[in-house]
Amino acid sequence: MTDYAAIIPLSIIALSAIAAMVAEAIRRPGERMPIGGFGLIGCGGAALASVFLWDSDAQSFGVIRADNFSLFINIILCTVGILTMLFSNETIEREDIPGGEYYALTLFALCGMMMMAAATDLLVIFVALEILSLSVYVLTGIRRASAGGAEAAFKYFLLGAFSSAFFLYGIAFAFALSGSTRLEQISVALSSQPGGAPPTLAWLAVGMLAIGFCFKISAVPFHMWTPDAYEGAPTIVTAFMSTGVKAAAFGAFVRVFLSTLEPLQAQWIPLLSGIAGITMILGTVVGVVQTNVKRMLAYSSIAHAGYLMLGIISANNTGKAAVLFYLLTYAVSNLGALGIVALLGSAQNQHDELRDFAGLSKSRPGLAALMTVFLLSLGGFPPLAGFIGKWYIFAAAVQEGHYALAIIGVLTSVISVFFYLRIVVMMYMTEGAEAVRPRLPGTAVAGLTLATIAVLYLGVLPTRVLDLALASISTIF
Amino acid sequence: MLSIIVFLPLVGAVLVLLAGGRGDRPDREPLVRNLALAVSLATFAATLWLWARFDPSSGDYQFVEQHAWIPAFGIQYFIGVDGISLFLIVLTGFLTPLALLSSWESVHKSVRNFSFFMLALETAMLGVFVSIDLFLFYVFWDAMLIPMYFLIGVWGYDRRVYAAVKFILYTMAGSVLMLIAIIGLAWSYAATTGAPSFSLIDLYNVELTRQTERWMFLAFAVAFAIKVPLFPFHTWLPDAHVEAPTAGSVILAGVLLKMGTYGFLRFAFPLFPAAALEFAPWLGLLAVIGIIYGALVAMVQPDMKKLVAYSSVSHLGFVVLGLAATNMQGIQGSVYQMLNHGVSTGGLFMIVGMLSDRRHTRLISEYGGLKAVMPRLVAAFLIITLASIALPMTNGFIGEFLILLGAFKWHSTMAAFAATGVILSAVYMLWMFQRVNYGPVTNEKNSRLPDLTPREWAQMVPIVAMCIFMGVFPKVFTDPMEASITKVIDRVHSREAAVVEKTAPGFRLPASGSPNLASADTARPGASPGPQAPSELRTPSPEPRAADND
Repeated sequence: MTDYAAIIPLSIIALSAIAAMVAEAIRRPGERMPIGGFGLIGCGGAALASVFLWDSDAQSFGVIRADNFSLFINIILCTVGILTMLFSNETIEREDIPGGEYYALTLFALCGMMMMAAATDLLVIFVALEILSLSVYVLTGIRRASAGGAEAAFKYFLLGAFSSAFFLYGIAFAFALSGSTRLEQISVALSSQPGGAPPTLAWLAVGMLAIGFCFKISAVPFHMWTPDAYEGAPTIVTAFMSTGVKAAAFGAFVRVFLSTLEPLQAQWIPLLSGIAGITMILGTVVGVVQTNVKRMLAYSSIAHAGYLMLGIISANNTGKAAVLFYLLTYAVSNLGALGIVALLGSAQNQHDELRDFAGLSKSRPGLAALMTVFLLSLGGFPPLAGFIGKWYIFAAAVQEGHYALAIIGVLTSVISVFFYLRIVVMMYMTEGAEAVRPRLPGTAVAGLTLATIAVLYLGVLPTRVLDLALASISTIF
Repeated sequence: MLSIIVFLPLVGAVLVLLAGGRGDRPDREPLVRNLALAVSLATFAATLWLWARFDPSSGDYQFVEQHAWIPAFGIQYFIGVDGISLFLIVLTGFLTPLALLSSWESVHKSVRNFSFFMLALETAMLGVFVSIDLFLFYVFWDAMLIPMYFLIGVWGYDRRVYAAVKFILYTMAGSVLMLIAIIGLAWSYAATTGAPSFSLIDLYNVELTRQTERWMFLAFAVAFAIKVPLFPFHTWLPDAHVEAPTAGSVILAGVLLKMGTYGFLRFAFPLFPAAALEFAPWLGLLAVIGIIYGALVAMVQPDMKKLVAYSSVSHLGFVVLGLAATNMQGIQGSVYQMLNHGVSTGGLFMIVGMLSDRRHTRLISEYGGLKAVMPRLVAAFLIITLASIALPMTNGFIGEFLILLGAFKWHSTMAAFAATGVILSAVYMLWMFQRVNYGPVTNEKNSRLPDLTPREWAQMVPIVAMCIFMGVFPKVFTDPMEASITKVIDRVHSREAAVVEKTAPGFRLPASGSPNLASADTARPGASPGPQAPSELRTPSPEPRAADND
């Protein structure tokens, strides 16, 4: 039986992407058109559809499943989408980016992300992964005149294609193990085999799939592309891919590893533990020496991937819900911070070096204060969203007795505070050479307001969302 | 009501931001200052009201407010006041307006933000002292770092950025380990009851293995030892104190350091009694080293502010020594000394601030003969100095005497070494006082410095009055503490009874055979067979008043 309900959110996003493309096609050269509006409508509609689908556990074609887990991720992704659209206007006009292309690609990427988190077949996950990756590769290099952007896009594309091959190879091994690419059937086959799965095949399947995921979430040692891609891409694209891609990849990561591959825990828990440990340490330690804010936030996003992996390693309900909650807190904090970096840039100067932030508290006290809030949230200070997120992740790790990883986690988050505070030091405690007075369009104000409210709400009154996160994992696993 | 007191400064902070207007207009400065002062005075009045309404005969939490916050993890908004936290709350209320006054002339850069951070800091400090839920406690504990960071980093002296970053990283590094221990504790509770809880009262019942208890105690102890700061975790303190603006130093020395010792007393000792007793000699040893080391280093400081900062290391060593003794006199003396140190060191920092406002230097060698130039300031300086070196009839005497009494009962050698700290403190303080104030006026610049202004009178009078009042009428303060302290001591030592048999004799303290001397009549829970004796079993109750039946 074919039920279309589960793909409604995806379809809304896809339709809005098509609308953006059509609008671009009929736009006369030089004519201004609020194409971003389609994106906002699409994201809003998809979010609304996800809310209506809550608890329905609809399935489409047997491969897309709108359980509460994927709906929660949909809502995170819609938040990411809306905030990105709100911040994009300024960049597009300033950098002379073709608006229609930009919005259409962003929306197609979002569509791929939603599909990735909702897919219950490894091949569909792969297709979704490719949809989102191709869109993001192009977005990275969308400033055609910029050499840095082209380099970043090319690097990202090459390494990304490489990792896709690994992922595909992993699917093949999983098929060899179980005779299917459907997640449930793999799970059944794995747990019904007497004496467990053949170790070599199991190792290969788990390892290859893990490499594919680790690449997308930029875990060490598959993180090499991240700093370059994040630095070379337009800042707003950096914000979009650091939060959106992560949310989608972690969604699929959790689904594949914690439900389907659960019988192989003995194989993958030590593997992922090692990766998570190195990821947290390298992300923060290398972040400390960065002088470019976008690179710094790139390394910080690597470290955050490490924290998120703790949720998967914990392999309990707390951990799964913690991943969902953390993705949301990270999304709003990071989009807020990078959104401000994007607003500060100008056509000549990206304004993303650390020293460019000197004296910002004088020239733009409001932006400096909000930037501080977002950075402190990323650093995990109460009473902001990031603190609750980190607490939740560490609570999950401690619950399963992963004390060593939890201690690495908290200590690296102290180190990360050091580099977040470097920006604060620049803004508040260093005299600026020139006063930067960026234009602040209404949409950006709306975006900043939304992100700030989210950061405070999730930090002070996290109960509702925490309960939702807990409820969304109980329906599937 | 308690919530109103805690969050009143925060509301004031937001009002201050609004009153400052767009772009922090200089013409609004007086309005902002007065508003901030009014809010802090109102908070102080409210804390006094709390004291007036406090029932001194009870050792339980009073003014309890308990609401679910994150029910899925048993996290509550659970606050209350007992005899130990009461005076720290009053102290916070007392020092904040004085600190704001001390910044009246010296802070001109963005007064709006300065007042905002001061008031936000006050809310966080009050929050730390009233929290009964460990998660809530941690939230306030960590949130407090941010305003302090800005106060040091933006309004401090030359090396302010370094000092601010060092302060925040040091403190955080200690406290995140405590966070892990708190989480571990909550899950241990869940292992026996099925659901986690972060309420201190519930967590008293957690059964831990000896080894786990040791690790968790150490995690808490490091967090608190950094805050105190206990030797050798003290290196952030001189930097932070010296670079902070006067108001920041007053709050830092007056209240923030007390959070460390308060943490030991409220959390680390009662939650992990066996480990606490096991490590108490080590704490005592570090405290004694800190007392002597702090005093020796203070002696050679050319900078007055640094001298006072190192004297804090020495004084806080006394506080920790009293806690480590875990008997009535020791702990009472410790809590008393926390208050004394807040008043007298706060006062000293204000005086150093007044001098450096006038001369823009804090070097002792730049001064000399001030007595002739500004007799009134020097008189206040003298009284506070004497209070700091614990002359009888001043507050410091009562505190240090009680601590030494308690320490002597527990471990006479340590007490003997600690007592040398009293002498050393006289040496460094009086020597500094003499060089600054007596003799002829050697530096021409000092010859026509103005004496106390009315605003400075308003700062000095309460401090001096408190130094003497607390020295003459200690019972006003010690009586309400007693019941709560007795409870802590009983908790620590009743658990001990249960672990005595399991512990190798080598782990025992030499002199702890007769613990709890002063409160012998309050009867340790008889022949308590173990930590889970029926009298100790408390279940969380929906009725808030019953829940504090600890």
